[in-house]
Amino acid sequence: METFRFSRFAGTWVAAAVALSGLLLGGVEAGAAEGKQTFDAKKCRDCHQTEGPAKAKTIQDQLATKGPELWYAGSKFKKEFLGKWLKDPKPIRPMEFNSITKKNPGDHPKLSGKDADEVTEYLMSLKSKDVEEGVVKPDKNPKNRNIFEKKQGCYGCHPVKRGEKILGGLTGPTLIGAGERLNPAWVYAYLKKPKVFKPVKRMPVYVDVLSDSEMKGVAAYIGTFE
Amino acid sequence: MVGKIIQIAVITLLSGSLAQAVTSKENYNYYCAQCHGLEGKGDGPNATESQPVSPKDHTDAKEMSELTKDDVIKVIRGGGAATGKSTMMPPFGKTITDAEIQDLVNYLRKLCNCKFENEP
Repeated sequence: METFRFSRFAGTWVAAAVALSGLLLGGVEAGAAEGKQTFDAKKCRDCHQTEGPAKAKTIQDQLATKGPELWYAGSKFKKEFLGKWLKDPKPIRPMEFNSITKKNPGDHPKLSGKDADEVTEYLMSLKSKDVEEGVVKPDKNPKNRNIFEKKQGCYGCHPVKRGEKILGGLTGPTLIGAGERLNPAWVYAYLKKPKVFKPVKRMPVYVDVLSDSEMKGVAAYIGTFE
Repeated sequence: MVGKIIQIAVITLLSGSLAQAVTSKENYNYYCAQCHGLEGKGDGPNATESQPVSPKDHTDAKEMSELTKDDVIKVIRGGGAATGKSTMMPPFGKTITDAEIQDLVNYLRKLCNCKFENEP
């Protein structure tokens, strides 16, 4: 009788554990799958490319695109940032996408809590094999700062914060808050393999201009930006 | 027959490369205008007050004619550092081809309506 009671008790727990793990695993997959459905239903694909490889090969191709490509979003962004941003999107680029004459109108559609969470799951599932996770850690080393500010004038195009002051150019995406937004390993990969991620862009190609360790250094420095 | 096929192939290749050729104005408007402005007056959106240097006004014939053609090519290719100027001018030598840089030099001559130093 005791044995029977125990086995029934244990069996209940095992069944519960199996059900829970199934729910958890299924939940994650379902989140991404539902996020994909929401992404389609909201017509996000009208502006964002979600399947690689990079398509725009000329300036004309690039200028014809309506929004940043997201086929490597899961390697580029930090999940927590993406979830928050989709619920309350604030301009990342000072200028309208692909424009150097119009300011960003800041009219990116907002998603509700559940939709934003599911779309985040979906976007975070879009990984690039060319981004090696963990290869760059945030690092404020003065050498890294020197590459960013002196060897190259990265803030010539990208807004940055120095103390409380905002300075720099306006045609590049802001780097204010880049530590929360971007995966530094992706920043490194973007510098190292520009043809993979964005063959044509307004930012110069730094391959054979910066060394491998300098690229890692810049990425590590950007990873510290608040 | 073989000659005709080769002729068609050559024409196809040529028309393909012509279709893809980028003009100096396209390159200028896409890359240079970010700082130098679409009309070259040094007033692109990156020419903010907080920048340590101002982008060159490419329509200033006096200043532009003080530069040699070689210096202009060096700066486009290697950035300001190539001629001891500010690194806020980035290098484009790995971004566009030497032929495109040469075309940009011709475009700059049109913008300033001038010749570079030592040019006949």
